[in-house]
Formats: sequence, structure tokens, C-alpha cells
Amino acid sequence: MPYVMVAPAMTFLLVFTFYPLANLVYLSFFRYNLISDKVFIGLTNYRNLLFVKKDFIQALKNTALYSFAVVFFTILLAILFALWLEKDSKINRFLQKSMFTPYLIAMVSTAYIWSWMFDVDSGLLNAALAFVKLSPLRWLNDSSLAIWCIVIVSVWKSLGYYLLIVLASLKSIPSEIIEAAELDNTPWLRKFFRIILPMISPQIFFLLITITISSFKVFDSVRVMTNGGPGNATDVLVTYIHRYAFQMNMRVGYASAAGSLLLGILMILTVFYFRFAGRRVHYQ
Amino acid sequence: MAKIEFLDVHKSFGSAKVIENLNLTLEDGKFNVLVGPSGCGKTTLLRMIAGIGPATKGQILLDGEDVSNIPPGKRGVAMVFQSYAIYPMMTVRQNIEFGLKNNRVPKAERERRISEVSQVVGLAPYLGRKPSQLSGGQRQRVALARAMVKEPKVFLMDEPLSNLDAKLRGAMRSELVQLHKQLKTTFVYVTHDQVEAMAMGDCIILMDQGKIMQQSDPETMYRDPNNIFAAQFIGTPPTNIVEIGSENFKLGFRPETIILSANAGPDRAFTRRVKIMTREMLGAETFYKLCLEDGQEAMARLTNSSLAEGDTLYLQVDEDNLYFFDAKGNRVRKTGSQHYDAMVERVKRSHES
Amino acid sequence: MHSKYTGFKLRRLAVSGISFTFKLFMLVLFLFPFYWMIVTSFKTYGESIVFPPTLLPHTFTLEAFEQVFTRLNLWNYLKNSVTVTVAVIVIQTLIGVPAAYAFSRYSFKGRGIMLALVMAAFMVPTQITFITVYIMMSKLRWLNTLLPQIVPFGASAYGIFLLRQAFMQVPTDIIEAARLDNAGEIKIMTRIMLPAAKSSLMTVTLFSFVGSWNSYFWPLVMSNAEKVRPLTLAIERLKDQDAGINWPVIMAGNMIMVLPVLLIFLLMSNKIISSMGYRGIK
Repeated sequence: MPYVMVAPAMTFLLVFTFYPLANLVYLSFFRYNLISDKVFIGLTNYRNLLFVKKDFIQALKNTALYSFAVVFFTILLAILFALWLEKDSKINRFLQKSMFTPYLIAMVSTAYIWSWMFDVDSGLLNAALAFVKLSPLRWLNDSSLAIWCIVIVSVWKSLGYYLLIVLASLKSIPSEIIEAAELDNTPWLRKFFRIILPMISPQIFFLLITITISSFKVFDSVRVMTNGGPGNATDVLVTYIHRYAFQMNMRVGYASAAGSLLLGILMILTVFYFRFAGRRVHYQ
Repeated sequence: MAKIEFLDVHKSFGSAKVIENLNLTLEDGKFNVLVGPSGCGKTTLLRMIAGIGPATKGQILLDGEDVSNIPPGKRGVAMVFQSYAIYPMMTVRQNIEFGLKNNRVPKAERERRISEVSQVVGLAPYLGRKPSQLSGGQRQRVALARAMVKEPKVFLMDEPLSNLDAKLRGAMRSELVQLHKQLKTTFVYVTHDQVEAMAMGDCIILMDQGKIMQQSDPETMYRDPNNIFAAQFIGTPPTNIVEIGSENFKLGFRPETIILSANAGPDRAFTRRVKIMTREMLGAETFYKLCLEDGQEAMARLTNSSLAEGDTLYLQVDEDNLYFFDAKGNRVRKTGSQHYDAMVERVKRSHES
Repeated sequence: MHSKYTGFKLRRLAVSGISFTFKLFMLVLFLFPFYWMIVTSFKTYGESIVFPPTLLPHTFTLEAFEQVFTRLNLWNYLKNSVTVTVAVIVIQTLIGVPAAYAFSRYSFKGRGIMLALVMAAFMVPTQITFITVYIMMSKLRWLNTLLPQIVPFGASAYGIFLLRQAFMQVPTDIIEAARLDNAGEIKIMTRIMLPAAKSSLMTVTLFSFVGSWNSYFWPLVMSNAEKVRPLTLAIERLKDQDAGINWPVIMAGNMIMVLPVLLIFLLMSNKIISSMGYRGIK
């Protein structure tokens, strides 16, 4: 009986999640454009990706920079805001709800709204800069600034959600421990680093992994805001894969190799996190 | 060592007024016990002394100094929580040392205190362990050690023994009393267990619904209760409270002061015919539940175990053992009341009717 | 005797005053983009490109919305978004609930492995599976239907995982009692388990809804005809025509896309946020 209940779900997962995974790696060893037959070329795709062409490495660098910036700022701000908004009051609850709202709307919409605010000629941000007598910036058209614009958008969108998670974990700390710390005359910083942080470390660790993985998958915002540009300053792994799969003569094999590398990177990162950060997590 | 004073203290949680106009002085050096049923406000008062649950109005003085604006860590008080609240991510040694480090106690002095305290509580071999590797009793000692090592002016304890099993509880009870004799610091101990309060306290403060019902030493609390609540909260079984016909006062007497006999003996103050409803033989003593003629019940506590259920006897109590309570439940004592003798007379005569 | 802590209360008051002001500032910061979207959508094109921009429209106009309605076949896109989202939620529930129930209450051979697969599936992104699934859909000639946006999402690993957790919390005695009363498995599932897991069910449904409704990458890849594209891809159509971007029109289009979600959130914000209290994971 239980097999009957589980079968549909497992079938779907096998067909649409695990088979494509295996197939992706399989295809990466071929040259394939969906029309003519596959041609086996061994590790050629990988060699090109990593050593011959430069654009994959560039996309990888951009993605890594973007991801770690998002992880760093999101977690830092989520913790700071959670500590600031911890008490139950009307303004705190309202601010929490307001900060959570961007999480629910589509990334594309977010990207459009912010693209408009980043607009060089009529955008709000340049107007604000002009208001305080500073010179305008080129935002999304600036090859070193563009990626940071996308980081800002991502943090604005997801902060509220992660804030709520950190808040829940702060509330799970028994209040008596904090009271004991107060009676021990603990200065604020020590209270945070030696008591609060260790007690929420499992959840923070979870966030670290989750946000990193979801950041490496970024596509929507880049596509809408810069489409990888200027040049390839904001090209990320998924826009790279998408472009090679659908736009540049359907180089499916090559794109699959890039996808396999993305998968590999995600797995390595997870292991890395467990190895290095996992040890410092205090489980109770 | 510090005297603690509550001046006109009020406490509300939101719109709920828990404590109003409370005044209390706890003498320094004494083992003070705050006792009462759940919700009476005893823990609230304790937390006010600590500073972790400040009063809504009024002042708290420690050794004459108003501490209302002094943060908990700077008041010189130490607290043992009911749940111990020891830091789970630190070792025993780090737990004990934490407060000292925060107070900038120099290393040599810290080491000395830690080794001394850990000897006293018997934790010396466990200093390197984490709380998850300790038993409940050991964790409680860590909480105690953490408090002791700070050499505070006041020791606060919030039902520290309630999570221990009965045997350990008894052992820790006498250890805490010995500790107090040794340190001579002011102790404020909260419990809902009246036996614990009687056994440990120098001075018992009995509370109910945010009010102080009585403050005195155990002996006085037992023999000379101020009101019906005090009479019935302390002592097992509780003081018997009976009504006399249609009088506007109530009578109280303790179960062990009851004399049961087949004949109505010499002229005692309170006499009634009773029937034995139940009998519980507990060893050295036997508890009898008695039913009076008018339907009221009383519990007797006697060394005589030979009486049987269904027996009809005379219950008698001497005048010296009677407590009189007015309509509000307050005690009417012989000195200071003109009506006392009249009341005694009416009680004596009530048997004849 | 003058305590050194006399200024304490005053300082505390000042700090909370500054804190409150900052909170208001944060509110503005976070909500401003929404405000800006709304305001822009009611401006004329001419006014929108004025520098410095106006905080409130001098001319309040609906012409941006008119353009959206005339240039786009909104009904088509809306229909697609709704169909896909509803279908996904329904299928995920029909498939996920029995699976979660089985995982939570039965022990059977292979359960451990299957569960591990579910957890692993949770971590596999669509940005990796899309190539193969595209090839599959292309071969099936499904690319001009809504099916590629629905079928691959039939099983939600996240949903199964969360529901299993919730089901495991239901006390065994209740289920035993139901079995003694001769209740069939389906009845147990629907009458006992589901009501008990209401909060998790809500979280999962919300997650599915938001995921489907806001999905951009997947429909972009998996659709080759306008007739099957959802709202998220519609806005692009508003961009192609013009040389310079007509921001009021874009913002109007976005408003239409964002409105349903915002409305739901406004109505149920408290429930949504409290159901998230469960997310203090591990």
C-alpha cells in the first residue's frame, strides 16, 4: 500500500529531476545541436570551458562575487535587523511585514522596478544623488557597478524572508539564559558573540547554504536588468548556459558541460560548508 | 550582605495588575523564603530584586540604595533559575568563570575562587565537561557555583530544587541551609512547597494574589497565623476551619490539637459529637476525617491508631489551641480584642444547642 | 545620595526615539520601490522622463494602462498564469499528500533511500534540469502547450518533506482509534492528517503559488508560442516595440502582475507570517 502512495511522486522525481541530471552529464561529452546526431567528443567541452575560452571563467567569477556578496549582506542584515526588531511592538511587526513583501513578488517585476530606479537619465537614484549635489552614476551601464546593482536588488527582495527566519530562531533562545547573562554583567558584544550567535548557529548555517545555492542559480534579474552586460560584466553561470543552449547555434553539449560544472560547484560548496563551518555550529 | 526593601511597589503585565501597594523588608543575612501558590507574585518579586522584571511603580532598595535604574549585572546579586539557565555552549569552568571575567576579576583571583567553589559544590572533576554531559543534579550545582563564585550581596533562588527527584531534593535542601550558615549572605528563596519553606527559612513571607499574608519565622507562622489563608497554607493536614451556627466569626484549630474520646470529658472550649468517615494510618500518626453533626468536616491527626471508621465520638479542643477569625478571614487575638472572651463563651455554649 | 544612573532613563528614552525614527526611515526605504512603481504607472510618458522626477504625478492619467490592455492580449497571459499555477498546486497536492503520509506513517523497504532521494531532489535546481527536459518536451511536441510548465513540477520535494514533518507530529493514538473505527486510508488522510497539518499545508501551498506565479526562467525556456506564455513573459512584449523604454507602460504591466499577490498578502499577512514560525529549521 505505501508503495502505491509513494509511486507517483517518485516517478515524477525520477523522470523530471534525476534523469535530467544524469542526462546532463551524459550530454556534456557530446557535440549536439538537437537536429543532427550527437557526436562523442570526450572532454573537449570541458577543456574549452575551462582553458580555451575565457567567458565561462568570467561568468564563474561574476557568479561567485555576486553570491558571496549576497550571502554576506543578507545574513549580516538579517541578523542586525532581527536583533533590532525583536521586541513585539506594532512598528516592529509592521516593518517586518513590509520587509517581507518584496519576497512574494516576481523577480522580473522587482528587476523592472529597480531598472527604472537605476535609469541613468530619469532614474530616481540619480535624482537623489543630484539632490545631495553628487554627480550621477551609470549604475547598470557601469561594468564594475552593475553587478552590485543586482546584488542590491537581490538583498532587497529576500531580506524580509530571511529576517523572519532569524527572528524565529532568536525567539527560540530561552529567555532565562539571556537573563542569566545580564546578571553576569555581560557587555553587549560579548553577549551576542558568545551566547546568542552560538545558539542560533544551526539556523544561520542552514541559511548560509541555502542562500549560497540559490544565488548561484541567479537568472531572472540579470536577464532583465543587464542581460549579462555591459560586455560580460554581469554574465552569470545560468545566463551563460542558457545562451549557449538556445542562442549560439544550440550548442547543447557545451551548455550541458557548463551545467555539469555548475552542479559540481554546488556540491563542492556544500561539502566545503559542512567541513569548515559545520564544526563551529553548536547543536543542542 | 544586604537589606532589601520594597517601597509601595506595583506591577502590571499589560492591563493585568498583579501587585499593588506592596511594602516589604527582608532583613540582611537571613534565609528569607517567599512562599505561596502559583501566581501569587513571589517570582515576580524575586525578579524585581534581580532587575530582570522591573516594577511598574515604586522603589526597590538594596542596603538603602534605590536600584531601580541599576542594570541587573551591576547590583551585586546572583540568581539560580528554576531551569538553571546555564550556558549550553560553554564548559562548566567557563560557565562559572563567565561573570567573573565580565566583572574584570584578575586571573589569579578567578582561579582561586573557581577552585574553591567547585570543591564546595563537588564539581571539581567536571570542570571540563559541557552541560549536555551532566546530570540534572550536577547542572543545578553548576548554576549554584556560578552564583556563589560572584560573592554576591544577595543570593536569589527561584524554586531551584523543583526539578530534582525527591531524594536529591532532600539532600540539596540541607546543603543549601548549611551554605547559608557558612556564607551568612542574604538569601531570598522562592518555593511553592510549604514544607520546604518551613524547613529552610529563617523568615517566611507568605503571599497570595500579590499580597503579603504574613511575614514571620516558621514557629510563629505555625502557631500564630494572621489569617485563614496562613492557617491553611502551612501545615499538613491544613487547619480545620469551622463555622459556629450563625455567628459572624469562624473557628480554627490544628488537626493535632483535637482530642477524641468516647465521653465528653472536662469542660473544654470546643466540643462536638463527630463520626469518623475515613482513617489513614501513616505509621507514627493516623489521619482521621471527621464529620460533625451539622455536616461540617474536620481532619484529626493523632498518634492513636485504634479508632475505626463509623465510630461516633466527642471531638474537643482546648481554648489555647483555638484560632478566631473575623468575617474577612483575619485573626482575632485575645490581646487587643474586647470581644474575645465573648466569642469563647459562645463557642462553649454552642454545643448545648 | 546621587546615583550615577540618574540619567539612565532619559538616555533610554532618547535611544528609543532615535530607533523609532530610523524604523520609519527603513519603512520608507523598503516600500518606496512599490510606491514608485504605482506612481510611475499613472504618469504620462512625457512626465516620466522629466529630470528630476516628480514624486506625485502632475497629470494623473490612465493612458499607460490603456496601452497595456491594447497592446497585449492580457487575457491570454492571465489565463495561462492562472491555469498553470492552479494545475501545479492541485497536482502537487494530489501526489504529495499521499507520499508524505506514506513516508511518515509506514516503514517499508526502500523508504530510507527514497526519502534521501526526495531530500536530494530538493537541492537540484531547474537551471540544471532544463536542458534535458526541453529536449523531452521538444520530442513530445509539447512546447506549444502549457504542459511543460505543469508536468515537470508534479512532485514537490519541498512539499513532501514539509508535510511529512507535519504528519509525523500527529499522535499515533488518534490514527489507531480511527483504524479501529474501520476508517479507510483515504479517510484517515483527509479527515485526520490534513486538518492537523493545516499550517504546513498553507506554507507549502503559498510556496507553490509564489513559485509558479512568479516563474520566469522555466516558461521562457519551455514555451515557443505566445499563446502559452504566462504574465511574467508578457512585460517583455511591452519593451520590444519602442526605441526608448516607455516606463509608465512597463510599470503598469508590472502592477497588474504584482497585484494578485499583494492582495493575498494584505488579506492574510498574519497567517502567512505565523505559519512561517515553523521554519526555524534544525
